[in-house]
Amino acid sequence: MNPIYAKRRRRNNMFLGLSVIATLFGLGWLAMILGTLLYEGFSGLDLAIFTQSTPPPGLQGGLLNAIVGSLIMTSLAVLAGTPIGILVGTYLAEYGRYTRLAFVVRFVNDILLSAPSIVIGLFIYELIVVNMGHFSAWAGAAALTVIVIPVVVRTTENMLVLIPNSLREAAAALGATRAHVIRQVTWRAARAGIITGVLLAIARISGETAPLLFTSLSNQFWSADLNAPMASLPVVIFHMALSPYDDWHRLAWSGALLITMAVLLLSIIARVLGSSTQSERS
Amino acid sequence: MADASTPAVKVAIEGLSFYYGETAALNNISLPLYANKVTAFIGPSGCGKSTLLRALNRIFELYPNQRAEGKVLLDGVNILGRDQDVNILRLKIGMVFQKPTPFPMTIFDNVAFGLQLHEKLPRSELEGRVETALKRAALWDEVKDKLHVSGTSLSGGQQQRLCIARSVATSPEIILLDEPCSALDPISTAKIEELISELSNDYTIVIVTHNMQQASRVSHYTAFMFLGELIEFGATEEVFTTPKNRKTEDYITGRFG
Repeated sequence: MNPIYAKRRRRNNMFLGLSVIATLFGLGWLAMILGTLLYEGFSGLDLAIFTQSTPPPGLQGGLLNAIVGSLIMTSLAVLAGTPIGILVGTYLAEYGRYTRLAFVVRFVNDILLSAPSIVIGLFIYELIVVNMGHFSAWAGAAALTVIVIPVVVRTTENMLVLIPNSLREAAAALGATRAHVIRQVTWRAARAGIITGVLLAIARISGETAPLLFTSLSNQFWSADLNAPMASLPVVIFHMALSPYDDWHRLAWSGALLITMAVLLLSIIARVLGSSTQSERS
Repeated sequence: MADASTPAVKVAIEGLSFYYGETAALNNISLPLYANKVTAFIGPSGCGKSTLLRALNRIFELYPNQRAEGKVLLDGVNILGRDQDVNILRLKIGMVFQKPTPFPMTIFDNVAFGLQLHEKLPRSELEGRVETALKRAALWDEVKDKLHVSGTSLSGGQQQRLCIARSVATSPEIILLDEPCSALDPISTAKIEELISELSNDYTIVIVTHNMQQASRVSHYTAFMFLGELIEFGATEEVFTTPKNRKTEDYITGRFG
């Protein structure tokens, strides 16, 4: 064979080999993490996890207060953050696409998107916890909201920009105002993508620990009082994993498994929704 | 220009120039659009024929840095004027685009979309108007049993007729067609052309096309444009058989463009 071709083929195989090794290396760690999590988490997973609150060391208990706390604070953050995020994203994609203000907002949003969450926790601590004089679920939800907003802004803008202008023109050509075009046509066309963004935001905040440490703190007991400290899965896992007690360790593993499964489920739903929009468009 | 039996002028374009930022795309265009006739804009890519069409319903205003100068008189009123409400203008002037643009909603809602923007209609009347519009666009028989499926599920040719139905639903006076067949197969194209001929009984129609045979088949008047200038305007037959300008002749005979 022509030596040039032989050399090319060797190089191609080498490159392919390196890519495969890198992929296996990355996947290997992921498999180990998930494997350990499943192994350790499943053994402690029983009905009590969902029916009893966190116990003192040595006693029987579950994670009910942490699960409910996570659900409450996540829901509040999504309820507050989603409308703001969608409206900002809509401004960036529809109204202000070419303006200087949009450029600045986009830039600031990107900074917020990659800001360390502990900074956001400290900010809410200063803003709410210090002023209220105590930790609370409100403060925890506020910190999570600040994390939700930039994620939703980003995905909403990206999804709206993908909608072809011809669709906007077609609606405008019928005499629709800009607001009507957005509400009836572009939001509809981008709906699955926008929902995907919200799901990804939920996945993102459901594992956040740092912003909650300074805001909602945690709570050993059942509490649905938004003005009081509230338990959440990540913070409970953090405390229990650092403790010297074996039964707490088991609960921490189970909690970690629960979060991971929830996030996995959200990601799968987001993926399915995302691919269905793409096929609709083609 | 056209002979003694000249029909009524629906739209008079007078000294229209158009700019994308600093770049001039149209230079001092003047021509009439006759009532209930089909006028074709032809010319090579980039000659400004689509730009001219997009000035007529002010759709270009969706984008910054695009502006039109001069006058477009619709029944004697300058629609480029500041006090012209664009949404009322666009109710009078429908538009169909190059690629079919069904909205992500049911076939029924697609057609009802424009109607509901301008009128509050009881359900029964709305249904009647949607049916009439779909019949006008020669689509009714194909979709009457599936009005509640998504408009995006139709074939390309059907989608384009859906867009025409959507435009005629609001009873416009003028319909602008921007290369409506360029994304369609020959059979769908033939259907749309037939439709255009029929619609010209009731509407003033302007069609931008790359396809010279199409222009000669469907239009009564033809405007040939080149590099932002109107080179020749006249009855289609005359423009195609005895063009007055050398450039028109070259383009029509396929020597350039």
